Amino acid sequence: MSHQIVFKTEADMPLLPMSLGSTLYNKTGSWRYVRPIYRNKTSPCNQVCPAGEDIVAYLGMVAEGEYEQARQRILEENPFPGVCGRVCPHPCESECNRAQLGGAIAIHAMERFLADLPMERTLPALEPTAPANAKVAVIGSGPAGLSCAYQMARRGYKVTVFEALPVVGGMMRVGIPSYRLPRKVLDAEIASIVALGVEIRTSMRFGNDLGFEDLHDYQAIFLAIGQHRSRKLNIPGEGAQGVLPGLEFLRQVNLGQKAHVGSTVAVIGGGNTAVDASRAALRLGASKVVVLYRRSRHEMPAVADEIEEAEQEGVRLEFLTAPVEVLTNNDRVTGLRCVRMRLGAPDESGRRRPEVIPGSEYTIDVDTVIPALGQEADLSFLDERIQTEGGLILITETGATSHQAIFAGGDAATGFGTVAHAIGSGKRAALAIDKYLRGQALNGFPSLTAHVRAAPRDVDPTVVRFEDINLAYFMEEPRTPQPQRPATERIRDFSEVNLGFAEGDALREAERCFSCGTCNQCDTCWLYCPDVCILRRDGDGYEVNYDYCKGCGICAQECPRVAIAMEEELKWRK
Amino acid sequence: MEKVIMGNHAVSYGVQLARAQVIAAYPITPQTQIVEMLSEFCADGRLDAKFIKVESEHSVMAAVVGASMAGARAFTATSSHGLGLMHEVLHWAAGGRLPIVMANVNRTMGPGWNVWTEQTDSLAQRDTGWMQFYCETNQEALDTVIQGFKIAETVLLPVMIVLDAFVLSHTMEPVDIPDQATVDSFLPPYDPKFTLDPSDPHAFYGLVTPEHYMELRHKMHQAMQKAVEVTRQVGAEFGEVFGRPYDVVEKYRIDGAEIVLVTSGSITSTARVVVDEWRADGQKVGLLKMRMFRPFPFEAAREALAGARKVAVVDRNISQGHGGIFAAEIRSALYGASHQPVLFPFIIGLGGRDVTPHSIGSILNYAQEHDVPAEESIWMEVKE
Amino acid sequence: MSYDVPDQELMTPGHVACPGCGAPMAARYALKALGDNTVLIIIASCWSIIAGPFPYSAVNVPLLHSLFATGGSVASGVKAGLEARGLKDTTVMTLAGDGGTFDIGIQALSAAVERNEDFIYMCYDNEAYMNTGIQRSSATPWGAWTTTTPVKHPKEQPKKDMVAIMAAHRIPYTATATVAYPEDLIRKVKKAKSIRGSKFLHVLSPCPSGWKSEPAQSVFLSRLAVQSCIFPLYEVEHGEEYSITVWPRKKVPVEEYLRLQGRFAHLKPQDVQYIQDNVDREWDKLVAKAKATGQQVPD
Repeated sequence: MSHQIVFKTEADMPLLPMSLGSTLYNKTGSWRYVRPIYRNKTSPCNQVCPAGEDIVAYLGMVAEGEYEQARQRILEENPFPGVCGRVCPHPCESECNRAQLGGAIAIHAMERFLADLPMERTLPALEPTAPANAKVAVIGSGPAGLSCAYQMARRGYKVTVFEALPVVGGMMRVGIPSYRLPRKVLDAEIASIVALGVEIRTSMRFGNDLGFEDLHDYQAIFLAIGQHRSRKLNIPGEGAQGVLPGLEFLRQVNLGQKAHVGSTVAVIGGGNTAVDASRAALRLGASKVVVLYRRSRHEMPAVADEIEEAEQEGVRLEFLTAPVEVLTNNDRVTGLRCVRMRLGAPDESGRRRPEVIPGSEYTIDVDTVIPALGQEADLSFLDERIQTEGGLILITETGATSHQAIFAGGDAATGFGTVAHAIGSGKRAALAIDKYLRGQALNGFPSLTAHVRAAPRDVDPTVVRFEDINLAYFMEEPRTPQPQRPATERIRDFSEVNLGFAEGDALREAERCFSCGTCNQCDTCWLYCPDVCILRRDGDGYEVNYDYCKGCGICAQECPRVAIAMEEELKWRK
Repeated sequence: MEKVIMGNHAVSYGVQLARAQVIAAYPITPQTQIVEMLSEFCADGRLDAKFIKVESEHSVMAAVVGASMAGARAFTATSSHGLGLMHEVLHWAAGGRLPIVMANVNRTMGPGWNVWTEQTDSLAQRDTGWMQFYCETNQEALDTVIQGFKIAETVLLPVMIVLDAFVLSHTMEPVDIPDQATVDSFLPPYDPKFTLDPSDPHAFYGLVTPEHYMELRHKMHQAMQKAVEVTRQVGAEFGEVFGRPYDVVEKYRIDGAEIVLVTSGSITSTARVVVDEWRADGQKVGLLKMRMFRPFPFEAAREALAGARKVAVVDRNISQGHGGIFAAEIRSALYGASHQPVLFPFIIGLGGRDVTPHSIGSILNYAQEHDVPAEESIWMEVKE
Repeated sequence: MSYDVPDQELMTPGHVACPGCGAPMAARYALKALGDNTVLIIIASCWSIIAGPFPYSAVNVPLLHSLFATGGSVASGVKAGLEARGLKDTTVMTLAGDGGTFDIGIQALSAAVERNEDFIYMCYDNEAYMNTGIQRSSATPWGAWTTTTPVKHPKEQPKKDMVAIMAAHRIPYTATATVAYPEDLIRKVKKAKSIRGSKFLHVLSPCPSGWKSEPAQSVFLSRLAVQSCIFPLYEVEHGEEYSITVWPRKKVPVEEYLRLQGRFAHLKPQDVQYIQDNVDREWDKLVAKAKATGQQVPD
């Protein structure tokens, strides 16, 4: 309908100058030379989430009170929100733009809140894609292996997981103490995966109890054996009684086996294993625990919150120091000779290389030494068909190894060392195996340092930064802290330290979220359009009425979260 | 009911009987009594109208335009410079096709300040699209107010009713004031065809491009043409109801007249007396009273003057650089007529200078004694 | 919906305002506040053209276009006429530019509000005669370029304080508003609608064409005007009770507002300082008036 009014004769015209129709006849869209388009950009949290979660999207759902929907959105990408919401180092929060206006959004606590919701979990629906009778073998029931099994089982594949230990969960079970990750939380999330029809066979060590020759029935194999070997100290006295390698120590603690610590404990290292070991030692009765780290606090790779909690509990941290000899008497630890360090130029990890300060040696009296210097993978079972490099299985961006139908992921292939990375890695392999088994080309996978989405959203890869946010629309609001048990109380047992968000906390945090680059239907564009040509699509975003849009750009300028871009009109014209 | 009242009050009664609903006014001598009486009528409930006491005549006409567009029967009165001040709004009212009625008391334009009667003020507005009626008596003023609303609301053009300052406005004459019921039967309530109605919204008076403007003005032109016939019909109907019929012109003893006087306003009464005297003396003279000036009744004027040898037009006004305005209009009415009388254009009575029977006699003498007018405009009774 | 703004649209697209113009924004919000039982009067100004030519209209309420100086007088007549017809609840609003309000129409406006006529008068102020091509009005701020105050001779007089003039008439309600704060504007129009008598609203309306600013920045500029206290948002009731309705979060230097507009590009630092000093002084006076009325003043 053109709305145009044409008078054929004078008699058709009214008696006086009066309107007979609206200005809709006048398509002012012909005026413009730029046009606004709704195009979501990438939020920094989404860019860095190693598990590939769509954080900004699910925060938006929480803000609307759609908790179940939000949880489903996580479950599309990650079957372990309860785990990640407790143990992830949350790089999302480090990149969060809100940090500069009251504090980063407590995404970590939010994920846990959603995982812990009392209502029954429903998984998002997914069309099965598996070819008939397709079977996949997964080696390792850690986060990488189970994430892969989960994504495959959802797509209709028959999955069998082979786990070396008698317990399921990999590092989630044996590496992380229960005061950080209660057993029943882990058990419940593993049970959800098993409920999809995944078979887990424990006490089946690959290279020992079974080999590649036993897996001919499977169309593809995913190696996710992790890094369960502690790196050695390589100093004299390392073999003495009272030296407990960190990973082994934690495994004993987490499996409920007897782990003997003395009363004065020195933990060597700066990662999560070191911090966990120090806090576990306290809980087992050590009276003095010190963590010795060769770099400074700033370089400690452990999660900052965990370090703080350790200090609250009484763990002492000593920086720029390294052990050079374990002092023994009768093959029992009596002390540790250390040397002071200083920071030099950065090494290959980007961190400044520590250098020994000559002549600065000193001794401390300890009866237990727990080295936690890092993890290694045991790749001895592999033959030359599967290439490795630097102690890691070599993979491409699809997770494929050098051998057809064998994929790898998690710490054994990437060495990233977190549960979230492993989950993302397992998902990547699952998506690749799915394509492989359906005979499709394996392209379109992002690089190994970028995240993978099972349910991708079409977004502009440009990342929104704080200076892009339109601060006129936001007030400074402080971050909501997560309640915690007091330090003096919590060191008495292995019960959970953090208590989680209440609903009000979660809502408050969700409402603080800028929703960087992602339209959350705030109506600002609709409100300010001088030409009334932004139409609200009833909860489903907005539509520009290009018949009338003059391209003034107010919508793009005012959008609080850079979800509108202005593009040259010429490219839209045929 | 018969009362001896001044012309201004006759207008007030006319407005009251016509049941005007909105009145806006600003005082100016010699109009003030019109609005003062209306103000009293409103205050004591004899007239159910809103009286807006605006701060200038420009605002007067703007307010009345607003009220009329909002669908109310609207009235105002002014004079001289007040009328001049509302000039641009007069155009708006007429182009806006609003049936507003305004009484204008003919008063001289300054400088210097002059409150007495002259027709230049109303005639200077002859291009605005308003109809104009020139009243001879106070009775005619009252009657024309009532007829004015009916004519205006039929053709949808505003009506200006003109009466002489002081000679009519402030002079008491016997006037028959009709009763309300009879007026109601003659003049129903205003039923606007186009108005500001939230249930049927339109925009009025916006931008009109060259593509459409001429047709809208052509429609106004057609309405003006129709107005002559409408005025006749309304005048005849008025005669049937009230016993006083009216026409667009009045021919007085024109049959067989060799010299015909053309007058308007109160001078007409004076001229009647002189025509009677000359006729009694055997002189073949007659009188054409121009009641309607806009639209100009070309046919009626032409027809009335068809037999005259000489036409003496009496103008109590001047269009500087041209001459008397009625004379110019009569001349144009006669252009192309098969019979062309000699036209003598007289300028007299400017600034309220009295026009007496002697003055009219001088005019007739001049016309009689001259074959052609000796000047472009003949100024009467001006000091040497 | 995150804004407290009525859904109903009474203005259509296809109107011919310049891209980024504040005038249609002001009218759109005002009409949302008033609803469809409204008669709008537009006097000669940009809106006379924005509304669209014959035979079209950009608003879905009855609209009377009128002469430049008649904003106050026509409205008085319309209101009287509507009441005579029995439409006693229909709101009459005059939408006028700064020229028709501060200059040529000030007489009729003053008279109408002196009579306390029952209508709303909304002046959308783009600070010059924009419709005729950017000539200065008494609403043009000190130092601004216009075609009749060229760069070699910019405007030497301060902006006329129209709100003070209206307040001096002691009308029931006078307020300022601007397009960056639609909820505030809408609340004020609704409040005006609920009061019998004369209500005057002064709305700062950015004009990219005349201010030589980016069309995309019109809302941003309008916000800056408030945050820098150049155009404070406040209400005056009965000419005496002042209350500030939007407090700046942090008073922004006027320079930030001025430098985004080409009409101020020629200003020297001492000119900017002069403007800053005046703004500071006027703001302090306004805050004092608000305090004297009993308003709690945030830190």
